[in-house]
Amino acid sequence: MPIITRRPNKTPLGLYVHVPFCRSKCQYCDFYSLACKEDKLMDGYLDAVCAHIKESGALAPNYKVDTIYFGGGTPSFFGADGLAQILATIRRNFDVDNNAEISIECNPDSVSDKLLRRLLAEGFNRVSLGIQSDDDEVLKKLGRPHTYAQAVSAYQRIRKAGFKNVSVDLMYGLPEQTIGDWQETLDNVLRLLPEHISCYGLKIEEGTPFFAYKEMLNLPSDDVQADMYLTAVEMLRSRGYRQYEISNFARKNLYSRHNLKYWEGGEYLGFGPSASSDFAGKRFTLCRDLQAYISGIRDGGEVMEDVQEIPLRERAGEYLMLRLRTARGIAADEYERLFLLPFEPLAEVLAKHRALGYTGINEEGRWYLTPKGFLISNTILSELLLAQDESVPMRKL
Amino acid sequence: MTDLSKIRNFSIIAHIDHGKSTLADRLLEECNAIDRRIHAEQLLDSMELEKERGITIKATAATLTYTADDGETYALNLIDTPGHVDFTYEVSRSLAACEGAVLVVDASQGVEAQTLANTYLAIDAGLEVLPVINKIDLPSARPAEVKAEVEDIVGIPAEDAPEISAKNGINIHAVLEMIVKDVPAPTGDREAPLQALIFDSQYDSYRGVIVYTRIKAGTIRPGQDIRMMATGAVYKVVEVGTMSPNGLIPREALGAGEVGYITASIKTVADTQVGDTITTAENPAPEPLPGYRKVQPMVYSGIYPADGAKYQDLRDALEKLQLNDASMSYELESSIALGFGFRCGFLGLLHMEIIQERLEREYNLDLITTAPNVVYRVTKTNGETMLVYTPLDYPDPMEIQLAEEPFAKVSLIAPQEYVGSMMELAQQRRGEFKDMVYLDANRVELHYEMPLNEIIYDFFDALKSRTRGYGSLDYEVIGYRPSKLVKLDILLNGDIVDALSFILFADNAYPRARKICEKLKDNIPRAQFEIPVQAAIGGKIIARETIKALRKDVLAKCYGGDITRKKKLLEKQKEGKKRMRTFGTVSVPSEAFMAVLKLDED
Repeated sequence: MPIITRRPNKTPLGLYVHVPFCRSKCQYCDFYSLACKEDKLMDGYLDAVCAHIKESGALAPNYKVDTIYFGGGTPSFFGADGLAQILATIRRNFDVDNNAEISIECNPDSVSDKLLRRLLAEGFNRVSLGIQSDDDEVLKKLGRPHTYAQAVSAYQRIRKAGFKNVSVDLMYGLPEQTIGDWQETLDNVLRLLPEHISCYGLKIEEGTPFFAYKEMLNLPSDDVQADMYLTAVEMLRSRGYRQYEISNFARKNLYSRHNLKYWEGGEYLGFGPSASSDFAGKRFTLCRDLQAYISGIRDGGEVMEDVQEIPLRERAGEYLMLRLRTARGIAADEYERLFLLPFEPLAEVLAKHRALGYTGINEEGRWYLTPKGFLISNTILSELLLAQDESVPMRKL
Repeated sequence: MTDLSKIRNFSIIAHIDHGKSTLADRLLEECNAIDRRIHAEQLLDSMELEKERGITIKATAATLTYTADDGETYALNLIDTPGHVDFTYEVSRSLAACEGAVLVVDASQGVEAQTLANTYLAIDAGLEVLPVINKIDLPSARPAEVKAEVEDIVGIPAEDAPEISAKNGINIHAVLEMIVKDVPAPTGDREAPLQALIFDSQYDSYRGVIVYTRIKAGTIRPGQDIRMMATGAVYKVVEVGTMSPNGLIPREALGAGEVGYITASIKTVADTQVGDTITTAENPAPEPLPGYRKVQPMVYSGIYPADGAKYQDLRDALEKLQLNDASMSYELESSIALGFGFRCGFLGLLHMEIIQERLEREYNLDLITTAPNVVYRVTKTNGETMLVYTPLDYPDPMEIQLAEEPFAKVSLIAPQEYVGSMMELAQQRRGEFKDMVYLDANRVELHYEMPLNEIIYDFFDALKSRTRGYGSLDYEVIGYRPSKLVKLDILLNGDIVDALSFILFADNAYPRARKICEKLKDNIPRAQFEIPVQAAIGGKIIARETIKALRKDVLAKCYGGDITRKKKLLEKQKEGKKRMRTFGTVSVPSEAFMAVLKLDED
């Protein structure tokens, strides 16, 4: 007798687990993480995050988890047992799709062969490795606890362990970096043939050590950084990587399905301090303090901060701001259907920029930003948002 | 009514920062005129701005009840005066309401330009000037020397001047005794026709204008019909009374010699001009008190709402402000670049800044202020003479036969080691040297005649910085003189932005044009294309800068947690765009206009 399975009519959901531990803090990093390996804290975190997952699972019976992302911090630094336990807890409490993308961020200094084998066995199927630079001097300045040789070795071991979907993170606009340096970094990393590459421009965030001495860092000018960006886009394109978001490139359509949720308005739930969620119409962030998170979960206190119910009109703004990060871009009919706002005023702005080569429109009629347009996306977006503010809702489609 | 022999009317004069307001507070305290519960620093300065800037902008007055050592109780009327060169006329009218002035001199700073200027005003008004040496608690105090200075420079006896510390309440009693003993009691016939001097007025939304007055002759009572002799306005008196720091105290009448207030349901302070004389309609005085002068603004600038849609709000705010400040004028102006706004007249730059700040703070407006200018006089080739209040009205060079600008008589005082740098500064500002006087072994007073235009911008700041803060300035406008003037236009991306045009002395045009272009380059955000910034005189480009095209304005990373942050950032950027004015294809933030005003700061 054939087994008839009812096609699950469930909403897709992404899960994000924030693992707030690192060997050391990088000089530019403003993510929430603690540079320590205290067993008590780590155990406390593990208990809290698992308890949190358990109580949240009950709230999402109509969802199917199709992406899970372990970020940090440095998840690989947390150790295989803990990670396995968290993933197992997720599987027990959520309906996880068999083909779910399960990613983990790793740093070159904390990936042992044993850890990698275990992760693969537990079901992790995508690794994101933080390489950042091929220059040991620069890595030192950034406060990264590894050399480039270590990074290459880590990459090879990830491959050897059997991961078929590997991403690497690179940074440009680094202290004293030249265009030539950056091209060399890309050349070196491309030889590794990763499926996915993220290239981030270094941004000096307030509150980071770099912020305090940014004038002394000798950073490349905005114009040079713009050239670095365009160089990367061009080099990666010629090597078969498709740019699917401002800073993200992939071969063989191996886009980060989890991250796409952020840009395409998908729903996601976060666990661990400082993790964000966009779930059931609400956006919220968990408290940015491990102790408060642990005690909040344990005692049933408040761990959510900044809970916002986002009105449709604001969602319309987010649609522009997030979708235009992606190569897929935005479409008039989609926009009007979702938000009942006229697309015409936006089209005017987009057309104006098209004449200057900042935007384009594809054969499906979707508007997108060109690489040059990505570079000044804030300027274009603020013009679009102004036009949107002034637009009058449509009575009907 | 208080017996004439028991009244003393006095004011306190001083150079800025010499402790005038603090002494006023102490006197009020000593006479228990202040309810301790509401005691706030410097009670007479009630405007928030005055407290922040530490200066008195509007004059105020209070009656102190003081029982002197002779056992008699006196009514001491303290009339506070503004302390800035912009307000010289107001000071003179306040002084005309007094018989004496307490001259506060800082025991370490000694006599300064304003000390002298204000003392001369007091002496001219026939006042008994009583020096007081303040801040004797400072380690750098040199009371004996400063007394000698007062005698030598100011020319009044200072041997018996009380040595006090207003801050620490030392010797305040001596000041009060001196006032009782040495300030002459007022005189005046209370049966004569009414002559009341207006020395200030203030708009109150419940009572209408409150007029502060000194009765010179006659008596005023509620119910009387009164007439302002200069403006001709007629009103019926509702209430008269005296001022205390805690509020107004109604009285049955005010008679000659007394200082107090009058309310008469007056709608606007324009009807109660400082210096005007109030008399009764029934039995008018044959002539007004001397010294009245209609206040003329000296500096004009265009004020526009940053958001063009707020034009009506700005108009309402200016209307309300003018209820309280008749010395400010405003008139509709329209600029091609900025749309509708107002050309406003001010007594000086400080006055302008104050009005601007009040508009922004009290009325919550974002403003664009154009470069201030003086009033130029142009005789055209057709023989017509016109006053030019705004660069927008400056005639074509071909039509100008004679251009003139206002000149002022300037007095500068500083220790002699700064004479060189003061002279250099004055010369740079086109000053014409008149003479130099040694005030004492160390201090020098320089007299110049120079264009008012050169004084109003930042002359005082430049003087202060070149003299390490010791220099002081006083000036008085003396009339028009022929001058070489040009109108400088600014072009953004090839188009003239009329709101950035201004009139200046031809020889200054090149360096100024260069500086303005540089400033604009720094203050106009990059656009997606290159923007040439040019300065031109009559179509001829004399300076140029280029704003490079914008290449990078992106948030590289945006994942779950960043969305809210990114939204806020874009929201801010969007709001910033709203506050920008677009000229052709170039967006200019309101700060760029401000930056052009502050050309000489670096």
